[in-house]
Amino acid sequence: MTERLLAPFTAIGRAALSLASGIGRWGVFAGDTVRSLRHVDVWGRLLLEQMSRIGADSVPIALFISTFTGVVLALQASYTFTGAIPMYFVGVLVGKTMMLELGPVLTGLALSGRVGANIAAELGTMRVTEQVDALETMAYPPLAYLVAPRVLAGIIMFPIVTVLAVGIGVVSGWLTSLQLLDMSTAEFLRGLTLFFRPFDVVFTVIKATSFGLIVTSIGCYFGFHTRGGAAGVGQSTTRAVVASSMVILVLDAFWAVVLL
Amino acid sequence: MSIILDDVYKAFGPHEVLRGFSLEVRDGETLVVLGESGSGKSVALKHMVGLFSADRGEVWVDGRKLRDLPTEELYELRRGIGYVFQFAALFDSMTLEQNVGMGLRRIGGLSEQEIAKRVEECLAVVDLDGLGARYPAELSGGQRKRTGIARAIAARPKYLLYDEPTTGLDPVTKAVIDQLILRMKKELGVTGVVITHDVDSACLVGDRIAMLYRGRRRFLGTPDELKATVDPVVKGFIEGRPELMEETE
Amino acid sequence: MNRMREAWLGLVIVGAIVVAVVGTLWLEGSSFGQSQRDMEAVFEEVGLIRPGNPIKLRGVEVGRVQEVSVDSGGAVVRLSFRVDEDLVLPEDAVVILSPESMFGDWQAEIVPRSRFPAVAYAQPWEPGVLPGGALPDISELTHTADQIAVNLGVLTDRMGIAFSDETARNVASMIDNIEAVTQRLSALVTQQADSFTGVTERVQMAVDGIGSAADQATATLERVDELLAQDDVASTLEDMAVIAANMRDLSGDLQGTNAEIRQTAARADSAFARADAILTRMAAGEGTMGRVLENEGIADDLQATVVELKVLLTDIRENPRRYFSLSIF
Ligand SMILES: Nc1ncnc2c1ncn2[C@@H]1O[C@H](COP(=O)(O)OP(=O)(O)O)[C@@H](O)[C@H]1O
Ligand SMILES: [Mg+2]
Repeated sequence: MTERLLAPFTAIGRAALSLASGIGRWGVFAGDTVRSLRHVDVWGRLLLEQMSRIGADSVPIALFISTFTGVVLALQASYTFTGAIPMYFVGVLVGKTMMLELGPVLTGLALSGRVGANIAAELGTMRVTEQVDALETMAYPPLAYLVAPRVLAGIIMFPIVTVLAVGIGVVSGWLTSLQLLDMSTAEFLRGLTLFFRPFDVVFTVIKATSFGLIVTSIGCYFGFHTRGGAAGVGQSTTRAVVASSMVILVLDAFWAVVLL
Repeated sequence: MSIILDDVYKAFGPHEVLRGFSLEVRDGETLVVLGESGSGKSVALKHMVGLFSADRGEVWVDGRKLRDLPTEELYELRRGIGYVFQFAALFDSMTLEQNVGMGLRRIGGLSEQEIAKRVEECLAVVDLDGLGARYPAELSGGQRKRTGIARAIAARPKYLLYDEPTTGLDPVTKAVIDQLILRMKKELGVTGVVITHDVDSACLVGDRIAMLYRGRRRFLGTPDELKATVDPVVKGFIEGRPELMEETE
Repeated sequence: MNRMREAWLGLVIVGAIVVAVVGTLWLEGSSFGQSQRDMEAVFEEVGLIRPGNPIKLRGVEVGRVQEVSVDSGGAVVRLSFRVDEDLVLPEDAVVILSPESMFGDWQAEIVPRSRFPAVAYAQPWEPGVLPGGALPDISELTHTADQIAVNLGVLTDRMGIAFSDETARNVASMIDNIEAVTQRLSALVTQQADSFTGVTERVQMAVDGIGSAADQATATLERVDELLAQDDVASTLEDMAVIAANMRDLSGDLQGTNAEIRQTAARADSAFARADAILTRMAAGEGTMGRVLENEGIADDLQATVVELKVLLTDIRENPRRYFSLSIF
């Protein structure tokens, strides 16, 4: 009887413990990765390749998403503002929302699918087919060879992709305002510049950098600790995407509280 | 100089895989380790390159205790050991040439030309010359295994550790690999450790044969001694009669 | 990695840096190719001004506010802004902060001091820094009106004690009316921010209210005149009546055309001048009323109120649309 009453609490307790230990293990993993950075000769040559795969190759999907986000933001803003609020607020909303929220978060979420899943699957496969062990036996520190270049590439390239996405999102919001909302360029620009602060861009970059760190390091973490063949690889991939999406949203709120 | 496992214990959670396993690999010999699947042969082999560290007991390579070795020295030591993985563990994203050249690039001090030359030599040794530009996915199982051997010998190691080099291959390919192992010893003078559960190959390539059973060494001797054994467990294994092996500890 | 991928990566990186840097500078309002100069002004209080708001000269945007910070001593607020290098400032230039529209966005205007002489400017102590002042916005107008009503209330109380006359009761009810009307004005402004519907109707109501209050005030004042001829109290009350009338004019402006606004603003101005004069006399302690007020600080309040209203009126005359055009945007 008491056991049944306690069951939900036991479940919550267990979940909390496993969350805490997961964060702890990830922290250790991250620390080891930082230490592996001393093998510049190992990861240095691989960084550009990873920047290209993680960043440059993600540009099309990020731009696709932000283009449509810009259109929808402009339309919804005009719909909401009808009558009472001046139309130039469409520019305010598109600019602020793209920069502070949707640009980094949507890019982060999209890339947690594209990049995080890819990393987890690739490293997971390498783990279960003993390619990671093979690296070790050839005296390549696996963290320096596999993890460091991916995480660094994520930290460098996420802000870059996000900035481009924000730019395209604002442009598509502007074009929508011109074509579908009968606004003038001057009106849209007035809204865009009205509440703009250079810190908005800094905020975008800080967020995107943290998302880059999270998506790549979580992808690497789950990939690296994959166990149990093809099924294990699938599981790691799913976990990586779920965990990094959740952490992105939590971090998003965290930055809003700390920096805004 | 040699590889020594001294009373090694290793457990994964509650599952005790090695329970006091001891083995000495002598310089210049080829030592075969027999054992059922899942008996911990691969685990034992991985201890020899420091991929696992023993829960208890020590592993010595060339007189150095792996446990106390700083990472840098461990990497240094690994350059003297070639490891042939059970499923080759080739890097899928790289061509055969790149796979074989990996270890050489890490060592440094060699020009790209020298590396290319050495890679071509190694591929020739395993009869894969001309296939250097292919990717692992484009190869058969036997070719992949031979590439694994080429990769392991590229850095001219002192030791070669083979994890089930012939398992899952057709008889002809199997014979090719066995010959290859013999040639490695004769031509390159390497000390070898070969894991297998194929008794015929074991007797062909091994100077001495050990058997791992329930986490401990059950047998150690020459091929002739193996054939003459009266231990029911060993006898049951080599004759493929499980009923003989049934005994309690 | 082949040449194409390297080129694409390079393009992406350079593209992002260009977007970030050029975008930031452009949105911040830097004009490319034209050199700019940094300027500063000091204020006692800056209202709702913030970085990015426009700097205007003669109604034309010439730069942007860069930074707003409280000076180390906490005594003044320092506003940094950037204007075109070759901009020629007016003689004895000051910076006036005011609402640009009713949606909370403010602007800073560079004007000659003579345009708003009554504003209390913060005085800079370094050369090159401009003195600055803020205009009250419309919510401050109603607040001010409230203030007047309260002050009048205090006066009436005092007079009630001094004369306990029916007149005093009449004055009291006049004050009540004015209070009611100001509250309605307050509500109107709030309402305006929420929605524009029905505003005209409410303006009409407010104006009617003020109108009848003023009528009553006039009647009352006539009687006060009779009763208290030759007394300071009479002339003080008269001036209060002018203030009340002024309020009526102000609200009249809410629906007036530009021309009318100019007229009423002029009338209000002269009324304020009179109020000013009487307050000065009161402050100097002349007459009965002056003595009543001397140590109470009410005179100061009134004085400040009148000054604020004057400033406001000046601005209303100059930029009527800022306050009363309902299609503000
Ligand atoms: N990294 C590991 N984590 C947990 N269990 C492992 C690990 N590696 C091996 N094992 C377990 O150890 C036992 C021995 O494995 P292994 O040495 O691969 O057997 P084999 O003798 O066939 O090579 C198996 O039961 C396997 O499940
Ligand atoms: Mg095995």
